[in-house]
Amino acid sequence: MGLGEDGAGSAPGALSCRNLRKTFGGTVRALDDVSIDIAAGEFFTLLGPSGCGKTTLLRAIAGFEAQDSGTIHLGGQPLDGLAPPQRPVNTVFQSYAVFPHMTVAENVGFALEMQRRPKAVIAARVEEMLALVRLQGLGGRKPSQLSGGQQQRVALARALAATPRLLLLDEPLSALDLKLRNEMRLELKRLQSETGITFVFVTHDQHEALTMSDRIAVMRDGKVLQVGTPTEIYERPALRFVADFIGEANLLEATRIAPGRFRLAGGAELDAAEDTGPTGPVTLVLRPERAHLAGPDEAEGQSLAGAVEQVVYDGADTTYHIALDSGATLRLREPSHGAPAQARAGDSVRVRIDPASLRAVPD
Amino acid sequence: MKRGRALLLLPSGIVIGAVLVLPLVMLLVISLMQRNPNGGIVWGSFTVDAYVSFLWERGFSGERELNWDYVAIFARSFALAGSATVTSFAIALPTALWMAFQPPKRRLLLVFLVTLPFWTNLLVRNYAWMLLLRVDGVFEQILHTTGLLTGRLGILYTPTATAIGLTYSFLPFMLLPIYLSIEKIDRRLIEAAFDLGAVRFRVLTRVILPLSMPGIAGGVVLVFIPGIGAFISPELLGGGKSMMVGNLIQAQFGYSRNWPFGAALAFVLLALVLAATYLHRVRFRSAP
Ligand SMILES: Nc1ncnc2c1ncn2[C@@H]1O[C@H](COP(=O)(O)OP(=O)(O)OP(=O)(O)O)[C@@H](O)[C@H]1O
Ligand SMILES: [Mg+2]
Repeated sequence: MGLGEDGAGSAPGALSCRNLRKTFGGTVRALDDVSIDIAAGEFFTLLGPSGCGKTTLLRAIAGFEAQDSGTIHLGGQPLDGLAPPQRPVNTVFQSYAVFPHMTVAENVGFALEMQRRPKAVIAARVEEMLALVRLQGLGGRKPSQLSGGQQQRVALARALAATPRLLLLDEPLSALDLKLRNEMRLELKRLQSETGITFVFVTHDQHEALTMSDRIAVMRDGKVLQVGTPTEIYERPALRFVADFIGEANLLEATRIAPGRFRLAGGAELDAAEDTGPTGPVTLVLRPERAHLAGPDEAEGQSLAGAVEQVVYDGADTTYHIALDSGATLRLREPSHGAPAQARAGDSVRVRIDPASLRAVPD
Repeated sequence: MKRGRALLLLPSGIVIGAVLVLPLVMLLVISLMQRNPNGGIVWGSFTVDAYVSFLWERGFSGERELNWDYVAIFARSFALAGSATVTSFAIALPTALWMAFQPPKRRLLLVFLVTLPFWTNLLVRNYAWMLLLRVDGVFEQILHTTGLLTGRLGILYTPTATAIGLTYSFLPFMLLPIYLSIEKIDRRLIEAAFDLGAVRFRVLTRVILPLSMPGIAGGVVLVFIPGIGAFISPELLGGGKSMMVGNLIQAQFGYSRNWPFGAALAFVLLALVLAATYLHRVRFRSAP
């Protein structure tokens, strides 16, 4: 996403965080030198395990938590020193935080009411927002008369009503059941493209991150480990942690003996394309769908020998658990294509591994 | 099944009957009898004289004349209780707000401090106010030393002193319910309001106050109603000039030896308070 160090951030919705640090109680490093550039109109996701600092980063951007050091710019303007009400940033809270004593319409119109807009303008905008989140006709209800998903939409409409330049969403879908969550994912994507507002979306669900985001930042222990498009993050993880956290991965301990050449624990050797880096211990990442069972008389390409331990059929795919002769276990997934399984438990097989499918990452 | 449940209510029914209904019935009976000039009542008599004498008194020649004295005492009681309610609300709200936004540990300590006055007798605390307010008392001396005042403070033995005493006595009953309801408000609602562009004042008026309405309503009831019937503060601080209903009733059962009239006054007060509570309920019914 060619965002230059200085070019990022002249568009009104572009966010630039530089070297943010925040510690709690002197010991917990909630943000540890976080630098992120987000383009205007981007759907940007912060992904990471619990406690990695996602909420802290959002709160720093919204102005609820002052960073110990570092700067935050929105559209080229520094946000530091501005109180939350003064920041052109709105938040959708994890718990919705819909005002229980106000009607849906009052909730949605709250930000405009605070700006002292004329009543007619507010009413028109509220109608527009309710239509946008598909809650037409519910403006007169109290939040207690709404379902969880509807309350979530109210929170969204409320945060979008004053057209912020940046919308922060802190795990907005985590309280919804699976069906509603899938619906709301599409809804969020639609809202984002219809409004053109920059979204910073927090989740610890990697599937959600992959399906919704323009780009993802993977975080751990207050640090940003990798930023990239879903494809980049999934296909070219930079670290073992990223490979493990995003999607399914076979992680094989190996030693790099030459650029692009690796030796596994049992002595077998493998080639990987696109590899640079010093010799020494690495982890080889192999996605289950990128490994294949070699046909009986297939001789070409590199492969590893092993025995099938278990075959799991789940409709679209069949997953084979294979104990490699080198000792490691490997999962590989083949599309079922309506045919019977290609091997059964106990069979000796060869696993074909294309060098382009292998990726070496440091720990 | 239904009978069984009704039986479970029996013990509390008996307690309520014994401590609440029975005395009220006795009071009603007493209010409808003739007074015995030596104290107590003439058993078996029946008269509504006690109620009549609330508004009318017998002139020299025996004819009935309208007498506004008692009405004035009732009106003063409502006014003093009302001003104590307003003043204690004005003090309690900012204090409760401040308390509710302290770190949790300090909040506990503060609540403890608020309840501290209850450890000493109300009478003693009102005496303390006498020492503060009296001529050459603590307040006057402080004001004199700082040069803010040269003459007399002249507050003791006025309705103002009564109002101060009432406010002081009942402030915790206003503060605690308001504090509890503010403290209970989900902090994320307040953050959400800030996030949506509300400045402090509007967060207060649009979010915090509406959500703490139950506590405010509770505080108003807990200060206003006992405030009307208070008799220690007016007795000690108000002097003879600001008698309140409580003192009047107390006097009927004491040196005036007019039990029926005292009982009748109590019933009139009860009726007025019930009416006030009802209006209050109607007023706050829409609140959450
Ligand atoms: N107010 C606070 N006081 C002390 N420590 C805090 C505070 N807020 C956050 N932390 C700590 O900072 C770290 C990051 O917390 P944060 O809430 O940002 O995590 P998160 O990534 O949002 O996690 P989750 O996915 O569970 O919401 C955690 O270790 C947390 O315990
Ligand atoms: Mg969080």
